[in-house]
Amino acid sequence: MDSALIPEGAKRCSFPKFAIGVAIVSAVVLWGVFAMFLCWFKGLNQTNMNDYYGFALWIWADLAVIAVGGGAFFTGLLRYIFKIDELKNIINFAVIIGFICYSSALLILAIDIGQPLRGWFIFWHANVHSMLTEVAFCLSAYFAVLTIEFIPNILENRQANKVPFFHHLAHNMHGVMAVFAATGAFLSFFHQGSLGGVAGVLYGRPFAVREGLLIWPWTFFLFTWSAAAFGPCFTLLVTKITETVTGKKLVKDNVVHLLAKISGWMIVTYIIAKIIDTIYWAMVTAPSLGFSLSHFYTSNGFYGYWILITEIVLCGVVPGVLLVMKSTRENPTLRLIAIILGVIGVCLNRWVMVLQIMAVPVMSFDTWALYFPSWQEIATTVLPVAYGIILISVAYRYLPVFPQEHELNYSVEVEPVTEPE
Amino acid sequence: MKVDRRSFLGLGLGAVAGVAVSPIGIKLTDDSSIWSQNWPWTPVPVDGEVTYESSVCSLCPGSCGLSVRKIDDRPVKIEGLAGHPVNGGGACLHGISGLQYLYDPARVKTPLKKNGDKFEEISWDDAIALVAGKLADIRKSGSPEKLACIADKEQGSVSGLFQRLLKTFGSPNFYTMPSLESYLELTAEVLHGEGMTIGFDLENSDFVLSFGAGIIEGWGSPVNCFKANASRKERHAKLYQIESRLSNTAANADKWIPIKPGTEADLALGLCAVILENKLFNSMAVANFRGGLNKLAAALQKNYSPSKTAEITGVKVSDIEKMATLFAKAKMPVAVFGKGRGDGAQSLKELAAVHTLNCLVGNINKKGGAFVQLKSDYLEFPDESMDSIADAGFAKNKTGRYVSQLIEKVNESSKPVVEALFVYNANPCYSLHDAKSVKQAVGKVPFVVSFSSFLDETAKEADIILPSHTFLERLEDVPSGAGLAKTVVGLTKPVSQPVFNTKNPGDAVILIAKALEGSIAQSFEWESYDECLESVAGGIWDSLSEDGYAIISEGIPSGFVAVNVSYLADNPATIQAQGDDELILIPIDNMRLINAGIAASPFAIKTVSDNVLKGSDSVVEINPLTARGLKDRGYATLTTPIGKARVMINLNEGMMPGVIGMVKGLGHTLNTKHMSNKYVSNKGINVNDLIGPVIESGSGLDAAFGIKVKIFKA
Amino acid sequence: MKQNNNKAHKFGMVIDLDKCTGCGSCMVSCMSENNVPFKEDESNKKDSITWMRVYKLTNGKSFPDTEIAYLPRPCQHCGGKGDHGHSPCVSVCPAVATDYGYDTGIVSQIYTRCFGCRYCMGACPYHARYFNWWDPKWPEGMENYLSPDVSPRMRGVVEKCSFCYHRYQAAKDTAYYEGRDDIEEHEYQTACATACPAGAIVFGDLNNPAHQVHQIVKPDPHPDPRNKHIVGKSRNPKVFRLLERLGTNPKVYYLSEREWVRKQGDNYLDGEWDKIKNYHGASSHD
Repeated sequence: MDSALIPEGAKRCSFPKFAIGVAIVSAVVLWGVFAMFLCWFKGLNQTNMNDYYGFALWIWADLAVIAVGGGAFFTGLLRYIFKIDELKNIINFAVIIGFICYSSALLILAIDIGQPLRGWFIFWHANVHSMLTEVAFCLSAYFAVLTIEFIPNILENRQANKVPFFHHLAHNMHGVMAVFAATGAFLSFFHQGSLGGVAGVLYGRPFAVREGLLIWPWTFFLFTWSAAAFGPCFTLLVTKITETVTGKKLVKDNVVHLLAKISGWMIVTYIIAKIIDTIYWAMVTAPSLGFSLSHFYTSNGFYGYWILITEIVLCGVVPGVLLVMKSTRENPTLRLIAIILGVIGVCLNRWVMVLQIMAVPVMSFDTWALYFPSWQEIATTVLPVAYGIILISVAYRYLPVFPQEHELNYSVEVEPVTEPE
Repeated sequence: MKVDRRSFLGLGLGAVAGVAVSPIGIKLTDDSSIWSQNWPWTPVPVDGEVTYESSVCSLCPGSCGLSVRKIDDRPVKIEGLAGHPVNGGGACLHGISGLQYLYDPARVKTPLKKNGDKFEEISWDDAIALVAGKLADIRKSGSPEKLACIADKEQGSVSGLFQRLLKTFGSPNFYTMPSLESYLELTAEVLHGEGMTIGFDLENSDFVLSFGAGIIEGWGSPVNCFKANASRKERHAKLYQIESRLSNTAANADKWIPIKPGTEADLALGLCAVILENKLFNSMAVANFRGGLNKLAAALQKNYSPSKTAEITGVKVSDIEKMATLFAKAKMPVAVFGKGRGDGAQSLKELAAVHTLNCLVGNINKKGGAFVQLKSDYLEFPDESMDSIADAGFAKNKTGRYVSQLIEKVNESSKPVVEALFVYNANPCYSLHDAKSVKQAVGKVPFVVSFSSFLDETAKEADIILPSHTFLERLEDVPSGAGLAKTVVGLTKPVSQPVFNTKNPGDAVILIAKALEGSIAQSFEWESYDECLESVAGGIWDSLSEDGYAIISEGIPSGFVAVNVSYLADNPATIQAQGDDELILIPIDNMRLINAGIAASPFAIKTVSDNVLKGSDSVVEINPLTARGLKDRGYATLTTPIGKARVMINLNEGMMPGVIGMVKGLGHTLNTKHMSNKYVSNKGINVNDLIGPVIESGSGLDAAFGIKVKIFKA
Repeated sequence: MKQNNNKAHKFGMVIDLDKCTGCGSCMVSCMSENNVPFKEDESNKKDSITWMRVYKLTNGKSFPDTEIAYLPRPCQHCGGKGDHGHSPCVSVCPAVATDYGYDTGIVSQIYTRCFGCRYCMGACPYHARYFNWWDPKWPEGMENYLSPDVSPRMRGVVEKCSFCYHRYQAAKDTAYYEGRDDIEEHEYQTACATACPAGAIVFGDLNNPAHQVHQIVKPDPHPDPRNKHIVGKSRNPKVFRLLERLGTNPKVYYLSEREWVRKQGDNYLDGEWDKIKNYHGASSHD
């Protein structure tokens, strides 16, 4: 019944099946929206946050989706600026994932602030010294860029493309996309970085604080680097999931291998930097403030050395090595393990840089603060995931997201059917 | 024009674009943020002219001067009154919270009459008539002594009016709640003679030996004590604190001497023994001792040698000897009694033993010592007119010596021992030991009249409530006592119009007396309480009304003070805790809570540590060695011979092993069907539901310092 | 870069922890002065608004060698690294809802500007900042005691101690009416300082040698040679600041004769305390 909207020549499941699937996920969305409205109308007392945990699950989710959404800017950078042409076969999808991640991030921020109606004060009364101001400006601007990057793909929808204006618009936007990709990469560099800076500048929090370059603490660069490194992992992971769900191969192996290879090298370089940063922090920065490493990882019920080792070794060094080595990279199972570990790793890093900072006592007589989110927080955190599934489903169904889909699935014997005008 | 899909779409997009570029969006964004800055449900305090009025706090016996900041007619802040002779500037958290009492919607707003199990509002006229009618019936029946009254204290004109009413009615049954002042008078009576009281010159003493007196836990006149304690640092004065628990006083002291609970009297006698044995006493002072000093000395040598004392108290022999020597050799030593705030259960043996130390070293009426002088009687009430019923009734014996004995008698007897009970400024159903049986006794009294401002545990048992003004709405003389070295009478002034339909309790008494007619009415010929106060305060009224206070006595009292040691020479027995379990539960005084009748304010409750109150659970302190398997912040069940409670555990190295500490002042049950008092009610457990009275033979005091207890993981 | 000007005021506090009894008067006086709300259960201290909070310290020893002390903690009104006014919280607030007063040294909070991102709370190691998780509600009639000097905060914004800034304004107004250039020490005192029954809290201008707080603290005019971020270190060996090593430069100082109490003011590596406990910054040269 919606066949007129489905890309030419593509096979999609029946509309009722699609509708039922979307309805199920929509129920989750509704749950999240309900929780969201509770938070807006009743206030943040709906959460389990407190004065020790002013930043909690949401900010982690925010940082995590932005980190994994980093695939969009980095792939865009590679595709449009470094002219790695193969990546055109995955760039649409990377952009959609980025769009989902960034729109989710903005939504979470809108729920997270105590006075959402005054959220615009961050622009109006901006404090140039605040990393968060930098985040807000770059994030909003980059979201606009992502929207612009997404538009041509939307306009390629079969019906939309029939409108000559839209057709030409999409075509011309493709032409100038390099400009936006460059803008996006620039903006991303800063907001990914400033999100890292959010933690690194907290000189009242020895667990977070880092030295750095000019006004930027090392976390600034580490966050940008890690988003560029692990973002493609997430793009690949979601591609893999989409392929599994649709039962179709959507992106050619050489594209996947290329992106995985780039990601692998990025991860390796990142993790070397991260290890150096950690050692310097543990040996120099923290001790100069009177803290030994054990202070941050002992005498509490959750945060042990395991989290440090998991983040850096298991979910950093391991995926990096697996993706760098040709044999493991081209082994589908090991590659999948690597990209999953990588995604976990970057999320864990963001967790540590939000929640563990809040948990560690700083005053010698203070105590560890542990926290567990309320259902409202969980629901609103799941909301973007559900929303993302719906958006990907809709995009996949109605938009020509994967240029190689046709070639990979509908073999040459069936000539592409041209619909009679 | 044909409306097709395309034109519809165009129209829609055009509209969106139009709205987007119009100022509507910006205007709405701006308006919504302005709205969020002025939410109508966030109160905006009204501004006005700022004035300050001074008054005196009567929440505790401290009698601190207060400065009340007002905006027009509205008090908005209470602070300590600079230059006041009692507190000189600072104030305690309860006094500062006073406005939360004044404006509390849970107050009794108008006279109430019990009907079945609920209260009905009645007018003041009806309420007074009802009370007077009932009293007249009792009087007619020929036993006027069956009217009893429990008040907070004897001093002051309001208490004086209650006493006067009882006397002219024909009843000797006027009782006060235990208070430090009552113990001071009793101690003075036993050692020095009747009509005397004791004060401690803490601000000058260079060696304070405190037998558990919570000098910074609210003992005596709290702010005055805080100041005296703080000045130790500059004066290089020492404080030794003898206590089973590392209280704030113990922590602040130069030395903390942990002691087995309930053996303070024994330690004091052990110190006396060392002083006598080593001739460390002041021979001039001791020469005047009467009542058998030799007998006492012999008894002490026999029963309280250092080694025996050490065995009883758990204090090391060396510490006993050192403490006795330091105390005796200090220039201006003073030994202070009254465990905790000094208003809980106390044993006369302990009070007398500690004060004997003062007598032995000869610091009575010396700078930095203990001041013993006649009780101040600054009020001049005219003689009562007594009819024959009054004379006959008043001449009878009191039903019990102390309020705890009265309660016991009421509970024991099958016939009503008390026909009518007045309760003023007291909450025996909460603050006496074994509160449940107190409630039972009050329930047995056929007619109970409460003068409380709040629907407290005792008021809830009343048949009539004649609600009093709070201290911020009334005029009243407030004498200091409470162990202060000086005697100051302060004047509480109405700094606010009455918020509800309440009266000064003095006025309520005068109205009742007038309604009773005859000789009783003749004894209350004042138009109002205010007029009464002005006339009975006679000599000091001018000073009271002009300065806000009058100093009755100050400086070192002169004159010879006799010392009689016969009570101790008879070697009275030391009180033992009820029960036969191994562990002992003791009550803890916490400055941030109130253990007298009223509940601590919402502000004060807010400051209470989560190691004292967590949610609605009381937290008990226990040494990890004693805890055996109990986890910090885990739950346990306490079982004593009289009650059982679920509590949270706080493993605390400041607690002596074998002892469990539980805070006083929690566990108020003030909620009713119609009024929830969620900020202060149903929080934790009333420790008086777990500890029962133990009457000291001889003195008749409830001297239960704790109770034996079992503890199990819950 | 702007800097604390020596001609300007630098209001600060010194709290004598040997005198502090932990009685809670300062906490309540603060709540009453500043219209701080209360709610049914305040026993979760991690969401209980107490601009002034009294911490209990213990020396960690077992019975009977245990000792305790109390430490009142208002907002520390940090001057930030080098005392340049970039307090941990001020520098992170994205909307300038909290600002540093260069003429007073006071860190302000503008409730109507704050949009509740709580970044400042994450930045503050002293937990001096509190979020209004709930609408402030007073039992019927109790709003009558609210003071017009301090506006009650709406839900969703951060609040904290202001050193009773409104009292400074009132004192300045009075001085102005009376034709004086400046205020006297006693004219501007915080609600906690005036309430303290033990006289443990001394408040005044750290820049004014005539003020008691200056005389007790004897702030070092030079940056600490060992850590240039630290300015105004006390030259009184019994005086310390909380987490001084972080370079936050608080204007709240603490005084104690007890070494174990002073040690708890900051964090030290094993054995480090003994090496630096007698080091008092540039004063070591004086």
